[in-house]
Amino acid sequence: MELDEASLAIGRIERALSRMEKALTDRAARPAPAPAVTATALPPADQSALKAEVAAVIGELDRLIAEAERG
Amino acid sequence: MADVKLTIAGRPYDVHCADGQEAQLIQLAGIVDAKARGIQGGTEVRQLLFAALMLADETQEAQSKAGNAEPQLDSLRAAIALAESRESTARDELRAAVSRESAALDQVKQAAEREAALSAELDKLRQGAPVVPVPVGPDHGRALGQIADRIEELAAKVEQIP
Repeated sequence: MELDEASLAIGRIERALSRMEKALTDRAARPAPAPAVTATALPPADQSALKAEVAAVIGELDRLIAEAERG
Repeated sequence: MADVKLTIAGRPYDVHCADGQEAQLIQLAGIVDAKARGIQGGTEVRQLLFAALMLADETQEAQSKAGNAEPQLDSLRAAIALAESRESTARDELRAAVSRESAALDQVKQAAEREAALSAELDKLRQGAPVVPVPVGPDHGRALGQIADRIEELAAKVEQIP
């Protein structure tokens, strides 16, 4: 059961990563927004928070992988 | 003692001096002789008198110049001491700055290495590589679930970025 739970979580992680990748790819493919539109983009504080959250999640994953490798 | 024969204003003199000082004595006699010969006319005694007066005048002038130079020498010594002190301070500051720069560079290198490792990890995840290549324990399964929650939240935020 625990293995199934882990496989389920890994599948969810892969799908979420695919969503992020698609969103970022779509965003990069769009033409440069006009200045008025740029003002609606994420504020710098939110961008920093987003980056911090990404770094935290990656750190958590690293820790988990290291623990798993050590058994 | 050494015996030395001198000739001043055309007259020979036999004098004695300490061993090793003959050359010095001959050189000094040469100076007196040149002064005496430069004075034309008069008796030999008068020539020697004027030579002695001229040498005394030159001696006095040299002493006066040395006395005037003394304060300047003090100022120069003070300036040299100040310059040496400033150079020492500047060297210390430079050494400290190099040390700080080196430490900052090390931090940048470490940060770059961490970033590269994280980036490689993220690439592995994107390529669908197994996240945990070894059997997963109960706690790990729960932790993976929590991480999946956070990544899904992140994906939602990324999708909402205009």
